[in-house]
Amino acid sequence: MAPIYLGEFEYAVLLAVLHLDAEAYAVPIRELIEQRTGRPVARGALYTGLDRLEAKGCLRSRMGDATEERGGKARRYFTVTSPGLRAIRATHESLSNMARGLESILGHE
Amino acid sequence: MKLAERLLSIVIRDREHRDAILGDLREERARQVRRLGAAGATRWHLRQSAGIAARYGMARMLRRKPPVRWIAMAADDAAGSRWIGTRDILYAWRSIAQRPGLSAVVVITLAVALAANSTTYSMADALVLRPYRFPGIDRLLVVTTGSPDATFLDRENVSAADFREWRDQSSTIRDWALYQWWDANLSGVDIPEQVAGFRVSPGYFALLGVTPVLGREFVSEEAEPGQHRRVVIGHALWTRRFAANPQVVGTTVRFDGEPYEVVGVAPDKFSIPDGAEVWAPLALTDTQWQNRRGADYGAFARLADGETVERARAELTTIMNAQRRDHVDTNTNRLARVLPFMAGMADPGAGPFMAVTQAAAILLLLIACANIANLLMARGSERSAEYSLRLALGASRARLFSQTLLEGVLLSGMALILAMPLLAIGLSLSRAAIPASLIRFIPGWSFIAIDLRLFTITALLGTAAMLVFSLLPALQAVRTQVAESLRQSGRTLTSGRNRQWLRSTLATTQMALALALLFASTLAISAANRTVDGILGYDKHNVLVGQLVLPERTYEDAEKRRQFIATVIDAMRPTPAVTHIGMTSHIPAGLGGNSRRFFSEGVETTEPNARLVDFRRVTSEYFGALKIPLRRGRWFDDNDRTGTTAVAVVSAALAEQYWGDQNPIGKRFKVAVDGPWLTVVGVSGNTVHNWFTRRLETVYRPISQDVPNSVAFAVRTVGDPTALVGDLRRAVAAADSDQPIASLMPLAQLVEERAAGFTFIANAIGVVAVIALILSILGIYSLMAYLTAQRTQEIGVRMALGAGRWQVIRATTKRALAITAAGTIVGAVLAFAVGRVMQAVLLGLVTTNVMQLLVIVVLLASAALLAAYFPARRAARIDPMNALRET
Repeated sequence: MAPIYLGEFEYAVLLAVLHLDAEAYAVPIRELIEQRTGRPVARGALYTGLDRLEAKGCLRSRMGDATEERGGKARRYFTVTSPGLRAIRATHESLSNMARGLESILGHE
Repeated sequence: MKLAERLLSIVIRDREHRDAILGDLREERARQVRRLGAAGATRWHLRQSAGIAARYGMARMLRRKPPVRWIAMAADDAAGSRWIGTRDILYAWRSIAQRPGLSAVVVITLAVALAANSTTYSMADALVLRPYRFPGIDRLLVVTTGSPDATFLDRENVSAADFREWRDQSSTIRDWALYQWWDANLSGVDIPEQVAGFRVSPGYFALLGVTPVLGREFVSEEAEPGQHRRVVIGHALWTRRFAANPQVVGTTVRFDGEPYEVVGVAPDKFSIPDGAEVWAPLALTDTQWQNRRGADYGAFARLADGETVERARAELTTIMNAQRRDHVDTNTNRLARVLPFMAGMADPGAGPFMAVTQAAAILLLLIACANIANLLMARGSERSAEYSLRLALGASRARLFSQTLLEGVLLSGMALILAMPLLAIGLSLSRAAIPASLIRFIPGWSFIAIDLRLFTITALLGTAAMLVFSLLPALQAVRTQVAESLRQSGRTLTSGRNRQWLRSTLATTQMALALALLFASTLAISAANRTVDGILGYDKHNVLVGQLVLPERTYEDAEKRRQFIATVIDAMRPTPAVTHIGMTSHIPAGLGGNSRRFFSEGVETTEPNARLVDFRRVTSEYFGALKIPLRRGRWFDDNDRTGTTAVAVVSAALAEQYWGDQNPIGKRFKVAVDGPWLTVVGVSGNTVHNWFTRRLETVYRPISQDVPNSVAFAVRTVGDPTALVGDLRRAVAAADSDQPIASLMPLAQLVEERAAGFTFIANAIGVVAVIALILSILGIYSLMAYLTAQRTQEIGVRMALGAGRWQVIRATTKRALAITAAGTIVGAVLAFAVGRVMQAVLLGLVTTNVMQLLVIVVLLASAALLAAYFPARRAARIDPMNALRET
């Protein structure tokens, strides 16, 4: 089965979920993306993006426990599924394939 | 905080996901409090929630469900499946449910239009088209005469002598009936009552195909004077005043103080003519039979077997033309008027009014159809990819069509179900809008009901329209090349040019129709207001009016009538707060009227050519009670008595008409060829008796010289006129305990009731117009929203390429601007045409006003542009990256 195609933003979200591991819910995901990419991320865009990724099968979500700080509302934690992982790899690979040979222009790494 | 969270809960359906987002926001808000303070954090919270809600709303609008659904169907097609089955129905249902908003708009639009149409049609059917329903009605004729310039048919314009010749000479008519109005005062009971009565020739009921439910109708012997004191009473009167007593036949009842034997009871709902409740035999003396001058009878005729209306009309016209030649002095202007019963009995005003309302409702249906067509086409173009793919995979065209049809049928089915209760509501509102006092004058009133047959016809029309427009996209899909269509509706920009053009035309039509309809409704409403609040020439406020008719036999003596009037006025005099107690023979805005022919001294006029003027007999105080101004000369005074010079006051319009610049005081005229000369002593201001004839020429005579039988007391008070009802009732009862008061109400109410029919129609058109306005704005809005949603990718590209927000808004609203401009121009032209028609129909009560038109144009155009602006602004807020990815 061909890996799922990922957009740039979706790619970033999946990577952030991987980074955060067990603590991956919307608030830190957004902060991490903003911090690492240096670009503002609209909350609405993130939420709809997360829903879309889940619909595509790249993410799975589960509800955590309710806390006082959140007014009794539970957190929704995300984990990357194996098709998600495959999609990340495929995207990463295709991007680095595209970048290969351009190291002198793109700088080291 | 509450508002913010409610906003989100509207847009996000999944409860757990929503709670997670709400929780996240609260968590972050707590941090923002430290940075921004509590108030700042609340604002932040609201802003973020709105942002998320908008994004979700947008996502939901743009969401295209994965095409799994139709691929499954395509597989089914490939398997060469049945013609139509449950699977197809399910499939059709799903395609409807997939776009709940759009489907709801389509269903509601159709339902509202159907209900409005059926309501007006049911009303028109009951009130105008078929207000009388009995067997053999198509063989009945109304025969009367009319002057060449008469606007309305006067059913009661037949003289006894003329009638007798028609009866004797005609061969196309089998039976004839003659009738005459009779103000019957039911007396000798606790509360006397004035009843609508008619004196009719024997055989009247048989002619109309009616048999009394009790007793019998009149026999020819009873048409002899002296034998005539028999009555057939109406079903309603029998129930109301005689407790539906089955033994009533044979008993004696007093009318006008005289004993009448009840010989029969008419069947339920029979009230021909004009809401009649009691009938007595018409007993004419030989002299009366020879009278050709007085023409206040009405005549019905039944065609002989094998004869047609045309032949009867031809024959009667010949007879009447001979009469016009033979009796020049009376018959010159009596042209034959021979009409089928239904046409002849129709309310002269109701027809055009109902026609206007019906036209408005049909316009509404057209607007609704345009609306639906537009929505379905928009949807269809979205689905053309589906059609193409399925065709490519081997679906038969018949199958595609039948499925599309099925969808249309499902949508109309839902609309029909919704239309039923709407129709019931519409009819009950319409019924409630007509004042009870007028109902008995509205034939066919009791027939106002949901007519399933009519509803079915309208429903079929609506469904047909729906099917045509849902089939169009499928047809287009089938016609175009499969590959081409797939390419066009895939990831590319907007749908085909042809389709866009058709859709814009539909929206433009809608705008234009709505504009015309709105204009028509403002015209009708302002005309109705004018009849109520316009210049009347008198002050309708603070006046109580009591109308009654003194029976001719008991009050044969003029002195006795004068005595009665004086007694009532004297009894009212001490009542506190009363400033004037006037009396007139006919109150303005009252139901009755009296006109006479006017012969000015020194001008040779033959009777048929003399102009009609309003004729009132009044007390001097009447002018004060109604605050009618004196222009010249004097009012009547104590010297104007029987035996002194016969005097009259004329209205300014009459003085102007006949004497121009000359001083009218001292001029003489007659109101009957053989009547006495009357001398003008004063000129009054003009008053409007009735907005339809709008005749302003009035002759007033003092009751001291000429006492009428019909009496209207006008009592002016400084306070609420209804407070005097009891006083006036007691005063009349004290003068004659057998004398009923026919109507007792404030003058202002009388004026309003006179305009009630008009107001009713005007409001009906107004309601229809407002619905049309809402529908067309809804249509433009949904069209724009839809088109914008379809152009999301294009907008994304534009923005990615550097287009600014305003550029995007301008690009998306450009078409709406064109539609609005074209719609208003076409609509304005249409509105002007409608205005001209209304002017003709509403007898000059309407004036087309350019300012009104402008206001409506501006209103409609701004509404349309706003409807286009919102989707455009939303489009401009799209994140280009997301927009490009959304598919």
